[in-house]
Amino acid sequence: MELVSLFIGLTFVNNVVLSKFYAVCPLLGVSKKPKNALNMGHAVTFVIFVASIVTYALYHFVLKPLEIQYLDLITFILVIASLVQFVEMFLKKFSPDIYKAMGVYLPLITTNCAVLGVALDNISAGYSFIQAAVAGIAVPVGFTIVIYIYATIRERLEIANVPASFKGTPIALITAGIMACAIAGIAGLV
Amino acid sequence: MNISAVLALLVIGGALGLLLGVANMYLVVEEDNRVTEVTGMLPGANCGGCGYPGCSGFANALVEGGAKKVSACAVSNAETREKIAAYLNETPGPDGTTVKVTV
Repeated sequence: MELVSLFIGLTFVNNVVLSKFYAVCPLLGVSKKPKNALNMGHAVTFVIFVASIVTYALYHFVLKPLEIQYLDLITFILVIASLVQFVEMFLKKFSPDIYKAMGVYLPLITTNCAVLGVALDNISAGYSFIQAAVAGIAVPVGFTIVIYIYATIRERLEIANVPASFKGTPIALITAGIMACAIAGIAGLV
Repeated sequence: MNISAVLALLVIGGALGLLLGVANMYLVVEEDNRVTEVTGMLPGANCGGCGYPGCSGFANALVEGGAKKVSACAVSNAETREKIAAYLNETPGPDGTTVKVTV
């Protein structure tokens, strides 16, 4: 039960994009087409899930016994960068179309602060291993849901009658703001 | 100086690098080496003036037939353009065909 509320809390209530404002770069960059947004969501889900497990294990079984916890940042970045490199090689081999559609935003997952954010939050919140694994799924699921909804709204905005001065990015940013307001309505629930 | 910190980072970095190296052996992609060659011949300004993302993007378009004129690259001089056109018109790709481009 505790894990379920943790999951819902991290997915919706404390949504990584709309209430913590991590990962705004891919939210704006890869949300022109819903399909690309979903692919981005899948890639980020894989990276965050594996990263949260590996960084948790590294912190508790390597850094802590050696009393070098201050190296957490650089170690986590090493892990994340390697994972993203792996995803890039994998997609290049098995799905060149997705590789091309994602463009520069694929290697930029390395600097997606949601990934590092989850890894560091798992440690600072004092999660157990299971909780860290649940967080590693809940956060990217929240990210995927938001980026997909946002992409579908942006698709509708293309044909909407928007005032000339708000066309394009301005109205997209306003949309993101309104979505954040909606999420703020359930703040503090979990 | 804390020697265990240095060693730990070395070991972690080495292990991750090794894993990536092994993964690379299984996931390596055969690339058309004409793209690499043409990228090397282009000026390398990466200005995007040709309408493609960077020089490698333009080289890719030339090899795959998306771009027909080397002169779309405004930075290149006449010598470079002729070199690239001659190279692409003479060198066959993996499937044995050449691409026709003009200067």
